[in-house]
Amino acid sequence: MRMSRDRSWLLKRAEQEDRHFISVGGLVSRIAAGTSGGERTRLMRAAFLRLLQLARRDKRLTTEQFAEKADIDVAELILIDNTPNYSPTPRTIYKLSSLLKVPSKTLMALAGMVDLKDAQFEEAAVKFAASSEPMDKLTSDEQKTLQGYIKFLSEREK
Amino acid sequence: MKEPVEIIDGTTGQFVDAELFDEITVEHFLETKKLWRPLVLRASEKLRAQGRQNMLPDYTNWDWTKKEPYLHMLATKFFGITCRKALQGIEVVQTENITGDCQCRLPVQRGKSLLYVDYLQVAPWNIKVLMEPIGEKVEFRGVGSRLMEAAIRFSIEEGFKGRIGLHSLPSSEPFYRNECGMVPVMRDPRKQNLLWFEFTPDQAQAYLGGDI
Repeated sequence: MRMSRDRSWLLKRAEQEDRHFISVGGLVSRIAAGTSGGERTRLMRAAFLRLLQLARRDKRLTTEQFAEKADIDVAELILIDNTPNYSPTPRTIYKLSSLLKVPSKTLMALAGMVDLKDAQFEEAAVKFAASSEPMDKLTSDEQKTLQGYIKFLSEREK
Repeated sequence: MKEPVEIIDGTTGQFVDAELFDEITVEHFLETKKLWRPLVLRASEKLRAQGRQNMLPDYTNWDWTKKEPYLHMLATKFFGITCRKALQGIEVVQTENITGDCQCRLPVQRGKSLLYVDYLQVAPWNIKVLMEPIGEKVEFRGVGSRLMEAAIRFSIEEGFKGRIGLHSLPSSEPFYRNECGMVPVMRDPRKQNLLWFEFTPDQAQAYLGGDI
């Protein structure tokens, strides 16, 4: 295998590399999948869906109105709600994080898109997912739970 | 295979001789565990203390020794770069596997074979965004770029014309998208929703600056 001897090429590539992490993770992902990663992702996902449902009800918005307020495609919001393995786009996560005032990386973890491997975060997600039932109007307890959980999420990266 | 390559000294900016090789041993894995991991954890702690959790690398929990069984798999090849007697970066590539990761998914080349980059990592002392928070300069620059180059050249040797696929970790997506010019194709639900990137032959050639 003949490698490049072009120093200007190497300098240019090194400058680009300096600005980033460059990790590739297929192998790591397979190893992680051998643990309880799948189950963890499903738990996070349940909390993510519950968070969206309660936030929408708290604001007394229909799905369409909620999508409009978040500036996301209503079709995608429906897909998130109804498709277990659906992955929101990064833009959607960003928009939802702005609306909910929750850091986007935290919301990505909740959506099962990244794994924070944070026991406290997981425990809070499970408690939250198990704490409320879908009804037309939030009870005061649900409202308290929702506000408390959003506060917990929003303070994670401060 | 041993091939001389140049990388860049992070302090002096001078080009230095290094070696690309493909005979990875268990000792190399143990070296990464012993020398790389403590530094990653130290930098991570610093980032956390500075409130810069969003800068934390995705791989603080990795244990390289668990990857040792892959050493003996057919159709799996390893590349490493050494300089000044230390391992500076490591890469795992595959030409065939049973999960379909060696098949293109990008519509313009769907179904064609590609070289799958299963793993790529640079020693933490060569990662600027990791070393800056702890006030240290990188030892060498360009190591990851050399590993990408090796993958492309190996893809060409294997008849894949430079076609490459990989699952980027989240913090690395901007590198593959913006700097390498790879195409983000899809999030892969089989791989923890990691983003799947591909190089077409033209893009791979562009990455090499036309020097194939």
